[in-house]
Amino acid sequence: MAKELTIMMLTWEFPPRIIGGISPHVYHLSKSLARNGIKIYVVTCDFPGAPQHEIIDGVEVFRINPYKNPSPDFATWVYLMNVNMQKEAAALVNSLGGKVDVFHAHDWLVADAGIGLKHVFRRPLLTTIHSTEIGRRNGIHFDYEKMIHETEAWLTYEAWRVICCSDYMVSHVRWAFGLPEDKLVMVPNGVNAEAYSKADRNDLNQFRGKFALPEEKIVLFVGRLVYEKGVHVLVNAIPKVLEKANAKFIIVGNGYMKEQLSSLVKNVGLAHKVLFTGFVDDETLRRLQKCADVSVVPSLFEPFGIVALEAMAAKSPLVASDTGGLSEIVEHDVTGVKVYANNPDSLAWGITKVLQDETYANQIRRNAYEKVREKYDWNKIAQQTKTVYEAVLDEYSKTTWT
Amino acid sequence: MMQVIIFSWEYPPRMVGQLADYVRELAIQLAKSNVKAYVVTYHDYLSGQYDEPEGVKTYRVTNPVRTHIGVLTWVLTLNQEVERAAANIYYSTDKQVSLIDVHDWHFITAAVTLKKALNIPYIYSVESLEEHRSHGANSPFNMGIKSIEWLGMYEAEKLIVKSEWMRNEVVRLFKVPLEKIWVISPKSVNWLKNVLEAYKSVAEGGTSAWLKN
Repeated sequence: MAKELTIMMLTWEFPPRIIGGISPHVYHLSKSLARNGIKIYVVTCDFPGAPQHEIIDGVEVFRINPYKNPSPDFATWVYLMNVNMQKEAAALVNSLGGKVDVFHAHDWLVADAGIGLKHVFRRPLLTTIHSTEIGRRNGIHFDYEKMIHETEAWLTYEAWRVICCSDYMVSHVRWAFGLPEDKLVMVPNGVNAEAYSKADRNDLNQFRGKFALPEEKIVLFVGRLVYEKGVHVLVNAIPKVLEKANAKFIIVGNGYMKEQLSSLVKNVGLAHKVLFTGFVDDETLRRLQKCADVSVVPSLFEPFGIVALEAMAAKSPLVASDTGGLSEIVEHDVTGVKVYANNPDSLAWGITKVLQDETYANQIRRNAYEKVREKYDWNKIAQQTKTVYEAVLDEYSKTTWT
Repeated sequence: MMQVIIFSWEYPPRMVGQLADYVRELAIQLAKSNVKAYVVTYHDYLSGQYDEPEGVKTYRVTNPVRTHIGVLTWVLTLNQEVERAAANIYYSTDKQVSLIDVHDWHFITAAVTLKKALNIPYIYSVESLEEHRSHGANSPFNMGIKSIEWLGMYEAEKLIVKSEWMRNEVVRLFKVPLEKIWVISPKSVNWLKNVLEAYKSVAEGGTSAWLKN
């Protein structure tokens, strides 16, 4: 391709605005694409203190005012936010003389904007489906959920290709929206392994002392405290683990289950063994992951499981439930321990196994780190994504829209 | 030859209030006056293109998202189909769309994107306002609609209202400069003549003024 490939990414979150996994995903993907010679524009929602326009390692970021009035509910806010995102993105593309080759929308949160831009500029739309409403809610029960589900279906219908981050998500999305097989592409999510290779050991021992006694092993959970993340399963597994090992359970993250979980912990008399930290900054999080004697991902539903990759990159032995994307990331007894989802006994068994057998723990930690470097490297993921863009543009060049 | 796309959420056979009949009469009179008139409107199942015997070309779109929790979400997803239909008209007519005439707030957001993306100017024809429809209620839902009305007025080339009273209300509620608003009464003998003049002024001045930016 003689001309420079130009992509416009649409995402409702981009650092420093971080709500879930889409923000770091788009951040690393766009930076790695820029490094591979692709011109990238990111259009996202604003954040206090962040500039409206900036260039980060070759990525041009535009932050728009989403919708600041009170909104009846979250979904209505999303559709209203899309009005402004679409308006600003349209003006931007117009000012570039229409020189955008592909619009890339991340999740239903930017469905309206992506679909609109596709039609007004007649350029292909591509979407990455990170998660689905039917998966998040374990079924569609109310009109609110159905509306979001149908919006997701509409986005995948309008998209030229649908990227999912795991084989599990490919089949899940295919089932959820009845898509043809050749519309779906699997490109894994990545992890920035270099970020974990900083901070030295001595420093870490002192840091560790702030969270656990020297004789306590650290069992780490990182994630939103919501039902589908299965943190309640971990809490139920704690007494069984403590029968065999001395450990401190550190739970990082916030969510609607926080109160419920902490009172559960208090009622069984384990408050001194469990620490709820709430949100922590990136640096603290990375250090905790490096200190963790075992990292636990007990999700009931997990499209991908980025936190599992982070543990692997941090060389922390991993225990994960055998579900969704986690099933693909973890090879049992090789790169981690797989346990039954929603089963505290099985989870306790997995944690205890890692805590009691140091040779075994070291072996899975080494293998996991190698796997991360080989398969989940952002540069490789960017190259795979670029191949998808080129395939779409090749097909597009043969249509009546060109 | 002037080419005008009219956006209206009601159009015969779908009648909600008085707007449907008014818009149809307008479109027919435009077609008779050597204006190529397209109407983009909503119908739940009669979707597609239809050329009316009077010379009006209609495009009816339906909502791709069937389930909704309120009028706002319904309108906002429907707008994408309105936008798509208008973009299709634009590309199939060799990009010769003079202007869009948007009746009421429902399809404002599509018009705004089309203006930003393709430099098509639009007129916002105000039939009624949320402030009056909701009798001053100001819940987040009403606010959402008012914010769309505000956006529509801010981005419009001109506004057309049907009475002096409405002009004053628009100025009072939204602080729109008086000279941006034309009063064209449907009851006036010069109604069509005035509408045509307004269109002509926006199609010529509007586009070029906008392109200069």
